[in-house]
Amino acid sequence: MDTPSGKLVRSHCVGTTAVVYASDYLNKLTGEKIERECRRQLNCGCRALVIDFSDTKLVNSIGISILLGIIDVAEKNGAQIVFSDVNHPTVELFEMLGLTRHVVLAKDESEALMNLSRLETTPPVVH
Amino acid sequence: MSSRSSNESFRRVLGRVTQQDFVGRASELERIMAQAEPANAGRGLLLLMEPSAGVSELLRQAYDQIFNRRSDIIPIYFGITRTETTAVSAAIEFLNTFVQQYIAFRRDEPIVAHAPLTLQDLLELAPPADFEWIEQLVESYTRVRFSNDDKSLVRFCLGAPQRIPAGRGRAFVMLDGAQLAEYLNGVVVLGTEILRVFGRGGFSFVLAGLRRQILEAAHDAKSDFERLDLLRLEQLDTNEAPLLVEHVAKRQQVATSEAARDLLVQQFAGSPFFISSFLQAAREKRTSLLTYLDVERLYVDELFGGHIHRHFADVLEETSPRLDTRNLLIRLLWEAAAGEERTSSFEVWRKRLHVAPNELEEILHRLHVQEFVNWDGATVEAGVGPQAWKDYLKIRYRLDVLNEPRALVVADALADALKRAPHTMARHYKQIANTGLRESISRFNTQMVPAVLFDYQGFSDKYKGAENDAIVSGLAAETELIKLPQTVHLASCLSFNSDMKQICEEDHCFVAHTFEEGTYSDAQQVVWLAADIESKLEVDADVVRAWYERLEHMANRLGFTRIQVWLISNEGFSEEASRLLKRRNAFGSSRQQLGLLASRVRETVASPVMQTSDSDEFLIVVPMGEDNELIAANTAEQIARRLTFRPEAINQIKTAIVEACINASEHSFSPDRKIYQRFRVESDRLVITISSRGIVPANLNGANSGTEDKKAAEERRGWGLKLIRTLMDEVEFERVDDGTSLRMTKYLRTGSS
Repeated sequence: MDTPSGKLVRSHCVGTTAVVYASDYLNKLTGEKIERECRRQLNCGCRALVIDFSDTKLVNSIGISILLGIIDVAEKNGAQIVFSDVNHPTVELFEMLGLTRHVVLAKDESEALMNLSRLETTPPVVH
Repeated sequence: MSSRSSNESFRRVLGRVTQQDFVGRASELERIMAQAEPANAGRGLLLLMEPSAGVSELLRQAYDQIFNRRSDIIPIYFGITRTETTAVSAAIEFLNTFVQQYIAFRRDEPIVAHAPLTLQDLLELAPPADFEWIEQLVESYTRVRFSNDDKSLVRFCLGAPQRIPAGRGRAFVMLDGAQLAEYLNGVVVLGTEILRVFGRGGFSFVLAGLRRQILEAAHDAKSDFERLDLLRLEQLDTNEAPLLVEHVAKRQQVATSEAARDLLVQQFAGSPFFISSFLQAAREKRTSLLTYLDVERLYVDELFGGHIHRHFADVLEETSPRLDTRNLLIRLLWEAAAGEERTSSFEVWRKRLHVAPNELEEILHRLHVQEFVNWDGATVEAGVGPQAWKDYLKIRYRLDVLNEPRALVVADALADALKRAPHTMARHYKQIANTGLRESISRFNTQMVPAVLFDYQGFSDKYKGAENDAIVSGLAAETELIKLPQTVHLASCLSFNSDMKQICEEDHCFVAHTFEEGTYSDAQQVVWLAADIESKLEVDADVVRAWYERLEHMANRLGFTRIQVWLISNEGFSEEASRLLKRRNAFGSSRQQLGLLASRVRETVASPVMQTSDSDEFLIVVPMGEDNELIAANTAEQIARRLTFRPEAINQIKTAIVEACINASEHSFSPDRKIYQRFRVESDRLVITISSRGIVPANLNGANSGTEDKKAAEERRGWGLKLIRTLMDEVEFERVDDGTSLRMTKYLRTGSS
């Protein structure tokens, strides 16, 4: 269920997991597009999100603050979220700004999907 | 008379600057030229000048243009000067000037207009065809002069242009009465006589002078207003005034910077008189005007003893020749300017100045004409006038009334001026930023626009994250439209309620009187109350509530029966705030929505890489927005590669540049909306300086911004500087007068970077 490419955000679903692809530059505008797409997927019933950064070369702080917003939204919806294929400089930025404390990073999309399927099969911990 | 060929060079006759160096006033010049046309024969044009707006060069330029046309219109320019002490001497000088300029024109010899010539000399220079009537004119003048009838003499002299015989051309008299205020006394009131004689003279004329005085003279002369046209001459606008500074500075060979130029424009409120006097002073003192300090030092010098000092001192001495009264007057004027009570009665002034009523009337009349007070006969409002006047009063008060040490007063005046400079510019930048709101409302004229432009939440739901093209086409397809009313009056809310000054600045809140459908009836009348709320984040419900209640309260007090509240915020409104707006039938828009609306009610309206003269330095200027920070980041990448930075370090540099550009865009009310980037390659480092003009944000002081205690969202938006500090080796804010300049250094570490 790929959305058309071009100016829209590319995404597809694998089961109840939505994979959303970030563009080459993650800034306010592209960040908001991703946020919008993630919200749409969650509203459509997705239970997990993978944001794929394989095309992303540069991110700025506004883009990162929007990612944090997406993590908040996912948490509120009880959805899991994984960031995949994040390049090294971007990982460093995420670490500097504490983003990695709130999200799981995966090497690529397959690893992200595998992590999520593992989490889904793990019974919830009851406190 | 024959016309000269158009390709013949334009000759400067009376103009003090060339046509090319004459800045601004294009429409006014055109209007004056139109007054000389046959269609306006016999009509007068009153040029009503705001004090210090400058009119002399405008009239001289008009003179030169008419002179060079060589048509049957004979230009006559006469400027009343302070050196003529009576109406009689001024009138005699007028007669002399008239004959001289008439002969200069008839002989087509500009030099005759300048030469120091007596009437007898002029008679000898008169062309044969004109000799007879000019001789008669001189003989008549000699008779009237010794008749001991001043009024007749003044009228005779002023009426000389009507004695030009038929077929010898038509006089077009331009009388520069900027100094006419000095002739308020005496048996013959010059301004009134000029209007009486010119009004009946049958020739076209322009009378320029202080607006209050000229209008008063026209009424006193019982002028026929049906034969008079009015043209108001105000200070130069923000497009023309900087050009004037540049041209005059170049002419006077005074080096200036853009920041100093803009400060001059704002500090002198676009006054050609003050700007020209100031730059002349800079030349005389061989002072460059590159920094705020340069400007304010010279400004203070000027207030204490330069051209500006002399201008104000002359006005005060002419207003109140007696020293004791003058000192009391200075005290009264300064206390009114400094205090809350600006308005007091005539009687209070009389008691404080210890003068007779008629003497006070004369003083107040002069101050009123100069617009240093507003006097309606019963009450006097002081504390008005340009900033330079208030600064001058303060200095005189401290020196002459309080007898404070001069050095202390000088130091304080300089410190005050320097502290005020950034605020002056900040106010200007905020005004520019808010021009969109004022302009948009003023252009409301029953256009149909998408309703979503007034509904932030609806707009956000539909268009957040969308490309601009998609938004524009989406808006074009919107079916829910609202019809804007027609705005008939728009003013700052401070004009209605001065208490609002404590809450917002002049151009942040407006009251617009409008009519729906453009139908002028009670039922269709709606008062729009629009406020631009300063916030970097979405505005929350508490702020919206406070603003709504404030505006509603003001509307109740002012008796507005139907209102429409419209709040604008840079980043829009929170969901709760949007719901609140909806419940109260109020509109809420982000600046993006305002921009889109503005482009609908009017047509709205960006830089390559340059290498500087230094071969190791590159300069890029990019417009703010549109991801243009990427252009800078990519350029930095190319430069950093030459220095063999490791890819990781290159990425860090790129990210730092992106963040610095975002900061520059977000934190300044930039007047030019540009980011200036300088890349300096040194042997072991790359030094990047990102600058922008505008307001220096309070938290960008070079220290850590201490965002830990602020809200999470605010903290997130403060990440840029944190990232830059982490990614670069040295980060320093350079001190600049105007805006911010961030210098970032990345060292080349052999083997590691």
